[in-house]
Amino acid sequence: MSQMFRERIVVIGFGPVAAALIEGLLPGLAAGLFALDVVSAEEHAAYNRVLLAEVAAGATPAGHLGMIDPLRLAAAGVGLHLGESATRVDRSRRLVFLDSGRTLAYDRLVFATGARPVVPTLNGLDFAPHAEANLPAGVMALRTLEDAAALSRVLVSGGRVLVLGGGILGIEAALAMAEAGHRPVLVHHGPVPLGRAVDPDGGMLLARCLRASGVEVVSGVRATAVRRDSAGFTALATEDHGEIAGDALLLSCGVRARTELAAGCGLKVGSGIQTNEHLVADTENRVFALGDCAEVAGAAPAGLLAPGWAQAGWLADFLLKHRAPAPDAPSRPLDPGTEAPAQGASNVLMLKGQGMELVVAGNVMAGPWDGGRARVSVFADPQAGQYLKLVTEDEVLTGFLAIGLPRAGAELVLAFERGSTLPQDRSTLLRLDDPGIPGSLAAARADDQLCRCTGATHGQVARAVEEGCDTVAEVGTACRAGTGCGGCRGKIEAMLRVSVPA
Amino acid sequence: MTSSAVDTRTTPTHCPYCALQCGISLDPGPGAEAREPVLLAGRDFETNGGALCRKGYSAANLLNHPERLGSPLRRTADGGFAPVGWDEALELLAQRAASIRREHGADAVAVFGAGGLTNEKAYQLGKFARLALGTSRIDYNGRFCMSSAAAAGNRAFGLDRGLPFPLADLDSASMILMLGSNVAETMPPFVRHLEHARACGGLIVVDPRRSPTAELCADGSGWHLQPTPGTDLQLLLGLAHVLLAENMVDDHYLAKRTYGLAGLRASVGAWWPERVAATTGVPAAEIRRTARALGAAASAAKTGGGGVFILTGRGVEQHTNGTDTTTAAINIALLLGLPGTPGGGFGTITGQGNGQGGREHGQKADQLPGYRKITDPAHRKHVAGVWGVDPATIPGPGIPATELLHTLGTASGARMLLVHGSNPVLSSPDAAQVLAGIRRLDFLVVCDFFLSETAAEADLVLPVLQWAEEEGTMTNLEGRVLRRRAALRAPEGARGELWIMAELAKRLESPGTFSADAREVFEELRLASAGGLADYSGVDWDDLDAGAAVYWPCSTDHAVSRIPGQRSGTPRLFLDGFAHPDARARLVPVYAGASGEELHSEGQLALVTGRLLEHYQTGTQTRRVAELAAAAPEARLEIHPATARSRGIAEGQRVAVRNRRGEVVARAALSTSARLDTVFLPFHFAGNQNANLLTAARVDPISAMPGFKNASVSLHPLGEAS
Repeated sequence: MSQMFRERIVVIGFGPVAAALIEGLLPGLAAGLFALDVVSAEEHAAYNRVLLAEVAAGATPAGHLGMIDPLRLAAAGVGLHLGESATRVDRSRRLVFLDSGRTLAYDRLVFATGARPVVPTLNGLDFAPHAEANLPAGVMALRTLEDAAALSRVLVSGGRVLVLGGGILGIEAALAMAEAGHRPVLVHHGPVPLGRAVDPDGGMLLARCLRASGVEVVSGVRATAVRRDSAGFTALATEDHGEIAGDALLLSCGVRARTELAAGCGLKVGSGIQTNEHLVADTENRVFALGDCAEVAGAAPAGLLAPGWAQAGWLADFLLKHRAPAPDAPSRPLDPGTEAPAQGASNVLMLKGQGMELVVAGNVMAGPWDGGRARVSVFADPQAGQYLKLVTEDEVLTGFLAIGLPRAGAELVLAFERGSTLPQDRSTLLRLDDPGIPGSLAAARADDQLCRCTGATHGQVARAVEEGCDTVAEVGTACRAGTGCGGCRGKIEAMLRVSVPA
Repeated sequence: MTSSAVDTRTTPTHCPYCALQCGISLDPGPGAEAREPVLLAGRDFETNGGALCRKGYSAANLLNHPERLGSPLRRTADGGFAPVGWDEALELLAQRAASIRREHGADAVAVFGAGGLTNEKAYQLGKFARLALGTSRIDYNGRFCMSSAAAAGNRAFGLDRGLPFPLADLDSASMILMLGSNVAETMPPFVRHLEHARACGGLIVVDPRRSPTAELCADGSGWHLQPTPGTDLQLLLGLAHVLLAENMVDDHYLAKRTYGLAGLRASVGAWWPERVAATTGVPAAEIRRTARALGAAASAAKTGGGGVFILTGRGVEQHTNGTDTTTAAINIALLLGLPGTPGGGFGTITGQGNGQGGREHGQKADQLPGYRKITDPAHRKHVAGVWGVDPATIPGPGIPATELLHTLGTASGARMLLVHGSNPVLSSPDAAQVLAGIRRLDFLVVCDFFLSETAAEADLVLPVLQWAEEEGTMTNLEGRVLRRRAALRAPEGARGELWIMAELAKRLESPGTFSADAREVFEELRLASAGGLADYSGVDWDDLDAGAAVYWPCSTDHAVSRIPGQRSGTPRLFLDGFAHPDARARLVPVYAGASGEELHSEGQLALVTGRLLEHYQTGTQTRRVAELAAAAPEARLEIHPATARSRGIAEGQRVAVRNRRGEVVARAALSTSARLDTVFLPFHFAGNQNANLLTAARVDPISAMPGFKNASVSLHPLGEAS
């Protein structure tokens, strides 16, 4: 009996994390292990929200954001229900009800409902936490292609855009607009942008770099209200900076897990849909949650793609390897040895903005004179737009901030994620960004090879020159130097020039 | 007189080593007695322009080398070798092959060939295995070399020819992206073809080491991207991402000449530059800069600018995702609208001397001559017709090299092995396991001219001819067919492999005919390849002798010119369409999964292996050239000074490099050319310096290429620095 049972898996949500899950499930679908349905309120298949600002600024076509080919999925037999919202889940009957009137039965259910933008508590905005944002004209978030289109209209008409929020997404949106020639205003509270992640010195340099990139930065702002006229947004009212005028307000105040559907069917909800370390949200091992909507083992959603993708890869593998209980079978606990997806996935922020290289990871708030276990190394050259801070404990990197040092920054991400030890001489990392690292500064000795291809030495070439060779070709005939790849011809020419009195 | 025409005082031929097949001339003229000294000089040939590297200059030193094998050697009861006559040797071989076949089945006898064999030897070896031995078990060391690129080329273009254009097309290039290739050491005269791109500031080298080739990018000649090992695919996905995101692709070309854009677009959507930077260690700005430069140069190339070329080497191909990585490189070339146009293209730089021809004529487990498939009934029928046998006589597909070697002497593996032109005891991944398998064999036969590390394990060693003593054809890295000519008479005691196969075939009462004459075998190869993808039927021996520049496919319909400077056959592939039935190239979406073993766990470094300028392959030849051995006498472990210091390793100190597969001992050579997380070992050395004691036998699921460039190791300093 159980061998004949063909499982039904339903995935609610079709963002990048769901796309990765579905991609991972395709082999099982091809093998006939289960049927797969995907429900998404959006008309579009999964797309890359990371690039929405570029789309709004006109730097990237919207068509480029797709992360999965829906035609391929349909051909593979995935039931795609796009533009249909799940309105209710009945866990006792294992049914998902859609607003289209359709009902989907499942044996296992995955919540990948993602997150929605936080609407700040400002006068003039409807900031109900568990509803899709209902924003007045000229006020928008940047979470969907529709949002990007709305922002794009403002930019095309030459409008001045205020970005509210000094987090990474707000900064990236502002940078993308500036890159496209617009003059956005970044409005945030706290003394420096990205203040939760970067230390004060790094934040000072960041603000300066943002201004140099064409972003107006207004720090230490307590916003109170949105001002509107009949056409829409006109200004942001603040406690201490008066009214900041603009044609549009882009909300970048974080996101909140979309949990109401899960809560409605009796699942536990905190900062997200609560799951155990195996992403299981119920007691029967039938319901899972992952990505931005999930609070896994007590950890709030990271709001980053990488951890969600890691969960998706794990869950796909798990669903393929562990079959669902048959429809009438009692629930079984997971095998005790079942490995869980990697927890506490990296908290690396790499600023996506051109001509502005910033990457920060871990905790960089410690100062070099703080004492304690941490070793803190700092290099700062604000004039050059460079800053490097390294925090290590027991030689393991626990935090770093690199600005204007792209190679060091990229290498440090690898070291941070691997838990590698750093070079004892921390300044080695600065030299990675030196474009002109010389091979050897020492003067060549007679035995040193001049021509790699033939093995001819400086001494042999010098002798050939002394003995009267006047051209590279003659030197080549005499000692073969320069007759291989030709890369040393410049050196031979230099030796010939020195020997010929001007 | 053109330099390629026959000169009676000297013999025009080609260097014995790499696939560049540099033109050289040998004094004496054709067919003289071996004598000292044999004079060797660079000859003005298109690939090398008269230049040679140190290996080529010293190649003649091996012709009269004192360690040259002078007679067959048979293993004695006390474990040594005794010289025996050829009759005794061949009789013994034939008897053992027949009895093992009788007792254990034909597949108990296996053959391992090489990319260094002439086309005729490669062709006849495949025929010998299938007809005289009746075995399906033949594969060759090119599996460790070109298999990923070949699989990717076939998948995308429907055809694999290393460079689908003449090498000289690079001479006017404005931009060349070289991925995992270190030509400045592996084939130095190649560098002259990079000069124009360098002068345009357009040489881009991707390599985890700042190799001598990467150094060619300095001083405004281009730039070097230095990703952490195992992340080449992600880097390429990032480049494709930027090209698509910023609309720098050739829409017209994509619409007319390719399939699969939608799938490709979705597959790279997730690889924006910052994510790629965090995976590869290559800054996002460098990724954007590279993609934009490629886009601009490709666009300019279509309006009269210099060509744009993307070239891969073993550095990106020798991974368990090597086929997908090469595919990602091809996808970029297709997005830019380059392959099959005069504006540039994609190519892979073939390594071994006949690495191109050696992969076309039936040495591969799944292949028959002319790139025919051994599983295709029509293909089998054609070849059987040429061989004069019933198609059913030809066995089915065998197993690829790594599996063949790692199962030797086991229940499912071969019990007897014939090795031609290869040294798998050193060159195979996880070499200690291969040595154990070799030692489990009932009977090992090795054909070589020196007692290589594999020959030293043999029950029977057959001394064969060197390059300057034999006739034949070679196909170089651009698919051009060349003549190798005998300048010297064969030394007493050594025999050609064609003769050995012909003699054995008689003793084994093989169906079909086997000639000892290279030209006769070539004529048969022409017929066998006729109508295949690698069609040699219109390649004429006399035309080649007269210096004709002939590129396959060349059927009898092609007119062949002997006029210097003219090209015949198909110098440029795909101009009228790709080799798929619908003439379109395929954009195959590829995904970044695991690229091999887990790297960079605590305390571990990534090991990459590669070549030195002074040595070739396992060093069987070059370690015996005094000048080369003196210049590079031993394996050196290249390591970043900061990495060395943190492990207490000083310059010149002996270091044990370990993982669960084995241990290599090498002296440390400190260099800032290395990444902090990566060490490098050359693979030319034997004993406890053999880098392949550390490499893993896991293979690419499509090409069966082992992940040579992907081992995790720990370092343990030994003793004092010297």
